[in-house]
Amino acid sequence: MLDLRVPSGWFFTLLGLILLGMGIFAPDTRAALTDANVNLYSGLSMLVFGLIMLLLAWRASRRAS
Amino acid sequence: MKLAPVDYTILAVYFAFVLGIGWILRKKISTSGDFLLSGRSVPVWITSLAFIAANLGAQELVGMSASGAKYGIMTAHFYWIGAIPAILFVGIFMMPFYYGSKARSVPEYLKMRYDEKTRTYNAFSFAVMTIFSSGISMYALGKLLQLVLGWDFNMSVLVSAAIVLVYTFLGGLTSAIYNEVIQFLLIVAGFSPLAILAVAKAGGWQGIEARLSAMTLPGGMSGRVMTHAWTYMGSSHSNPMGVELFGMVAGLGFVLSFGYWCTNYLVLQRAMAADSMNSARRTPLIGAFPKMFVPFIVIVPGIAAVALARMGVGYSIPLDANGAPNYNLVITTLMAKFYPAGMLGVGLTGLMASFMSGMAGNVTAFNTVWTYDIYQNYIRKNAPDRHYLNVGRATTIVGVVLSIGAAYIATRYDNIMDLLQLVFGFVNAPLFATFLLGMFWKRGTGHAAFSGLVTGTVAASLTWCLTVAEGKGGILGQVYTFPSAMAQSFWIALMAFTSCLLVTLFVSLATKPRPEKELEGLVYGLTKIPEDRGSWYQRPAPLAAAVIAILLVLNIWFA
Repeated sequence: MLDLRVPSGWFFTLLGLILLGMGIFAPDTRAALTDANVNLYSGLSMLVFGLIMLLLAWRASRRAS
Repeated sequence: MKLAPVDYTILAVYFAFVLGIGWILRKKISTSGDFLLSGRSVPVWITSLAFIAANLGAQELVGMSASGAKYGIMTAHFYWIGAIPAILFVGIFMMPFYYGSKARSVPEYLKMRYDEKTRTYNAFSFAVMTIFSSGISMYALGKLLQLVLGWDFNMSVLVSAAIVLVYTFLGGLTSAIYNEVIQFLLIVAGFSPLAILAVAKAGGWQGIEARLSAMTLPGGMSGRVMTHAWTYMGSSHSNPMGVELFGMVAGLGFVLSFGYWCTNYLVLQRAMAADSMNSARRTPLIGAFPKMFVPFIVIVPGIAAVALARMGVGYSIPLDANGAPNYNLVITTLMAKFYPAGMLGVGLTGLMASFMSGMAGNVTAFNTVWTYDIYQNYIRKNAPDRHYLNVGRATTIVGVVLSIGAAYIATRYDNIMDLLQLVFGFVNAPLFATFLLGMFWKRGTGHAAFSGLVTGTVAASLTWCLTVAEGKGGILGQVYTFPSAMAQSFWIALMAFTSCLLVTLFVSLATKPRPEKELEGLVYGLTKIPEDRGSWYQRPAPLAAAVIAILLVLNIWFA
């Protein structure tokens, strides 16, 4: 059966990379009410979350085989 | 609000993933049980998140942030006194009967425990209700996207319905459940930065408290009431909800929430798809942990919005065409102010995701009840399993098409939808009494359950017809006036529950009991509940204790 950690891990890794890219290469894209680089920080957290999911899935599949 | 190409890219990535999951899971479907019940093989962390996500529809997100802006942190009662105790109860006490009875659906449990007519009453009302509620939420989403982004109503309704249709058609309940987990995570990812940014901008919780205490609410109350959940509950006139302590705890906390979380197949279907009895019982309990914190990402931004609007920083509460505040737009206007292109895409995709998880929940529950409780029971009884698998698949299409129909009815007759929701409330309110007696009193009989349900529904409608709140109800006379529609709905539920309980008790005593042998596995005392082993997080009781401890801290903190 499909290990859901794989698709959700890839999904958040991809989202994280997109936002991180925005945060790094277009740091001036800001919203009206905040000076924070929202894309950078949220992208980074999504990337970390996605990678942890992938790592857990990888470990589980290694243990199974 | 305008979206950038990157926002559309994120939306497209999300669509690709949900469809891809349906595509991968399609190979797993070979029987009707795989399609409609996930073959009872889903791991517990997945069913837990799906259990919460199926309930976390777009209407809930938008509605809860709106209530946050209107009533303040008292709105969290829908979670802390409402949902959580009921979720604990269903996991600890009721799941052994639902899962252990091998019933495929909640109506089927009623058939095993009581009789055919009780099941039919429940199955039909549930089927109609799921179609209309998914239609109503589709309508709400279409309207919202039209208002906020200028998207065409038809396009957003049809595209999102088509995507839900494709992934549930391909992978059935498993696909719906798997996607609900991704949707839940995406909702958290898309909404929690907003809560953090909005609260930080408003000066933290202390800053919000200080700003709100200094203002007067539209009703004339001090804004202080908005940052306390319990302090102003003594009388219905001292809080903006217009509800007093008893109505809140008994009406919402007991009858309405238990009626929803303990009997609604939409959420219970997720727990019943778990891979073992232990997992089925832990599904609601593990789901309770994230559920307790949902108020922080949906209600708190609404409260922060009110404080921000006072600060003159360039945010104001959106108004409707008549100049009255339109709280339903609070969450999207906040996103527009706090999210740059990129994160804005994630936020809106989260909103779409919540809509899809709610709709897929309705469609999959409708599917199973229609196929097993209505079709297999009344239309074609002893067909080979292959036939029911095909019926299940066809029902997915029919269910989605009917929901779209309901969405278009809503665009034409706004009042009909209000009326329908009211009627569903009447039908649902007494249900918990029926299940409570069914599971914990072996003397309860089928005739009694059925007459109790009917009496409860009648009592609910009568209460509405004889009382008035905010100009609604009272079509047969005005015996009592409630300070708010919310108080009225809590009391309607209380009347329905009490009358159903009493009638079921008395009629049971007057009718012939069922032999105990037939009730094994269905009623407390005649069911062997397996002993739980393992670490604390593998056993239901310690999990529930942990939830209660956190719940107490939250309630005291925000009292």
